[in-house]
Amino acid sequence: MTKKSNRLSRRHVLAGAAAGAAVSSFGFPAVLRAQAASIKVGILHPVTGPLSYSGTQSRVGAQMAIEEINAAGGIKSMGGAKIEALLADAQSRPDVGAAEVEKLNEAGVAAIIGPYASGIALATTQAAARHGIPHIVDVAVVDQVVTRGLTNTFRFGPGLKKTVDTAIENLIKINDGAGKPARTVMIVHEESAFGSGMATTLNSELPKHGFEILETIKHANPTRDFSNIALRVQARKPDLLIPANYYNEYVLFARALQQQRIVPKAIYSILGGGASSYKFVKEFPQAASYVMDCNHWFDPRKAAALVLKEKTEKRDLFYTYEVFMNYSCVYLLADALERAGRADRAAIIAALASSTFDKHVMPYGPTRFVNGQNEGAQPVTTQVLDKDIKVIYPLAFASGNAVYPMPERRG
Amino acid sequence: MARLGIAGGMIVALAVPYLIRSDFWLGFLITVLLFAAMGMAWNVLGGYAGQFSFGHAAFFGTGAYASAILHIGFGLNPWLGLAAAAVAGGLVGLVIGTLSFRYGLRGSYFALITLAFAEVLRILANTAEFTGGGVGLYVPLKVGVANLQFESKLGYYYVALGFTVLSLGVGWALERSRLGARLMAIRENEDAARALGVDTFMCKLQAIVISGALTGLGGAFYTQYYLYIDPGIAYGPGVSVEILLVPIIGGLGTVFGPLLGSAVLHGAGELARRLVGDAPGLSLIFYGALLVIMVRFLPEGLMGLVWRLSRRRERAANA
Repeated sequence: MTKKSNRLSRRHVLAGAAAGAAVSSFGFPAVLRAQAASIKVGILHPVTGPLSYSGTQSRVGAQMAIEEINAAGGIKSMGGAKIEALLADAQSRPDVGAAEVEKLNEAGVAAIIGPYASGIALATTQAAARHGIPHIVDVAVVDQVVTRGLTNTFRFGPGLKKTVDTAIENLIKINDGAGKPARTVMIVHEESAFGSGMATTLNSELPKHGFEILETIKHANPTRDFSNIALRVQARKPDLLIPANYYNEYVLFARALQQQRIVPKAIYSILGGGASSYKFVKEFPQAASYVMDCNHWFDPRKAAALVLKEKTEKRDLFYTYEVFMNYSCVYLLADALERAGRADRAAIIAALASSTFDKHVMPYGPTRFVNGQNEGAQPVTTQVLDKDIKVIYPLAFASGNAVYPMPERRG
Repeated sequence: MARLGIAGGMIVALAVPYLIRSDFWLGFLITVLLFAAMGMAWNVLGGYAGQFSFGHAAFFGTGAYASAILHIGFGLNPWLGLAAAAVAGGLVGLVIGTLSFRYGLRGSYFALITLAFAEVLRILANTAEFTGGGVGLYVPLKVGVANLQFESKLGYYYVALGFTVLSLGVGWALERSRLGARLMAIRENEDAARALGVDTFMCKLQAIVISGALTGLGGAFYTQYYLYIDPGIAYGPGVSVEILLVPIIGGLGTVFGPLLGSAVLHGAGELARRLVGDAPGLSLIFYGALLVIMVRFLPEGLMGLVWRLSRRRERAANA
C-alpha cells in the first residue's frame, strides 16, 4: 500500500502563488480576498441565578442588535466585518463575572457589554481595566461604577444620583401642577444595595423639598406576604407611596395594596421593579393602573424604538428596559468601531470617549462621556394609563398626560 | 518520600504562574487556593473535631467586613487588616463556640446554630450603618503592593498561595499535636473522650477559634481581591455551602483533602461551563449531577479514593 504524501512540494507552492497572483491581477479581488475577520464582542450578563430574567432579557436585546448590524453588512469601515457575540454568564455573582472577563479577554474580545447589576459591574469593569478592554455598562446604576477613574468604562444609562434627582424633580412638577396635594411619604424598600441605597437617598433628599417621610419599611428578599406592610400603609395614610423593590416583590406589594383598597395620591417608584414592565401591566392591569415610575425607558417618538418593540414581542418576550438598553449599547459600540476603523482596544476606547452617537432608541440625545458617564443619559417618568405604559415627564418626550392624584382602582 | 512530594508540589505551585501565562487560569487557581484554605479551616472544626458547621459565612463575612471597615473608616493598612480579620473571625468563633458548646449543642443542632448565627449577622450587616447596610462597602481602588492591590493577578496568586500553605500547615501541625488527637477522640466518641479526661469544651472551643480565624483571613482576602462586599456575599448561605463542600468532596479530616476538593469542585464547575456552552443554567445542572455522583460513590472523599488506589497498588506489588 502506498501512502500519499500530504506535504506541499516547493513546485506546488510556487504554482499556487503564481495562480493567485494571476487571478488577482485579472480583477476578482473582492471575491477571492478573505472575508474581513469578525469582531469578537463579549456579551456578559447574569443569565442564571436570581437576576436571570433581567440577564436573559439583556442578552436578547444585545443579540437582536448584533443580528441587525451583521445583516446590514457589518462594520463598513472594517470591510464589512461582522460582530461575533461571545456570550458569558456572570451567574448573578461578582466573582464569576470577573472570571468571565478573564475568559473573554483570552478569547480576544474587542469590547464587553453588560453586566446589568451594579455589584457585578464593579468587579467586571475592574477586571476589564486590567487588560484595557473597553467595557460598556448597560444599566448598573450605582455611582461608584464610574467614579473609580477606570478609563475603559463607559456607562450608557444614567447613574443613581441622576435618576433620583430627575425623579424628585419630576415628582415636584407633577405635585405642583396639581396644586401640591401630597406632603407625606412612605417608603417601602427591599434590603439589598438597590433598595437600601434608594431609601437612604430619598430620606435625605425629600425633606429638602418639603415632603415629610412618615415611615421607611425595609423587607427581605424574597418576601411573599405583604399584607402586614399594606396594613401599616393603611394605618399611616401617606399621600405618596414609594416602593423600591425587585419585580416579584413589587408586583406582590402592588396587589396587596389593591386588595386592601389602599389608594394614596400616587404610587411613585424610582427604578421600580414592576412599574415600567409590560409584564406587570398585562398580568395585573388593575394593580398596575396609574402607578408612576421614573426609570430607563425608550423614546416613544422614535420609530426604531417601536419597531424593536414589535420585534421583541414577536419573540414572545416583553419589551423591558434591559432589551432596549442593551440593543442601544451594541449600536453605540458599532458606531465606535466604525469610527475607530479597527478592532484595537485602545482605538475603541478613544472612539467611545469622543462618541456623539444619537441613533439609539433612548430619549437621551447624543452620547457625551465625561469620566465614563454618558452625560446625555436621563430617565423618564412613566405612568400606567389605559393598560399601557406612557411617558408623562419630561414633556418633550411625553406620550400621555399624568393622571394625578390617582383615582380609586376597581378589581 | 511525602516530604519530597510536598517540596516538589511547592516548587510547582511557585512556578505555575510563569508556566500557564493565562489570567483566566490564574484567577481560577486563586479561587481554588482561597477555597482550599477556607475548606481546611472548616476541616479543623468539622473534619478533625466532628463539629459540622453550616454557617462558616459568619467568620468569612466578619473577616471581610472587619478588614474593609478598618481600611475605609480608620485607614488601617490592608496587610494589617488581614491580621485584624483573623482576630475578628476568631472572636466570632469564640462567641459561637462558647454559647453552643457550653450548652452541649452537638450534631445537627450545632450545624443549625451556626447557620442561624450567619443569618443573624447577615441581617445585622443589612441594617447597621457602619457596614453600609444593604448597599455594602466599596474598597477604594488604589493599586499598589502597600495597599494589597496588585497590578496583575500574580500578586494575588502568591498571597492566596501563602494563605493556603498557612492553612494546610495548621492542619498538618494539628494532626501531629495533642490537640489534634483530642479533637479526633471527640469526633469518634465525645463521651468516651470526656471519660478519659479530655476537656472537650476547651478543645472544641480552640478548634472553632482556629477555624474562625483562618476563615476570617479568607474573607479579608476576598474583600481585597474584589474590592466590594455586601451582606449577601459576606454572610449568605452560598459561601457556607461552598466552604463545607470542599473538604467533604476532598476528604474529611485530611490535610490535602480540601486542596484536592477545591480543585475538583471548581474544576468541575469550569468543565461543566465549557462542555455545555451557552445554554443558561445547563452547566449548573451538570455540575450538580457531578457532585451527587461524587458524594454517592466517594463517601470518604477523593482522598479516600487516593488511599484505596495506593493500597491496591501496594497489595499488587506485594503479591
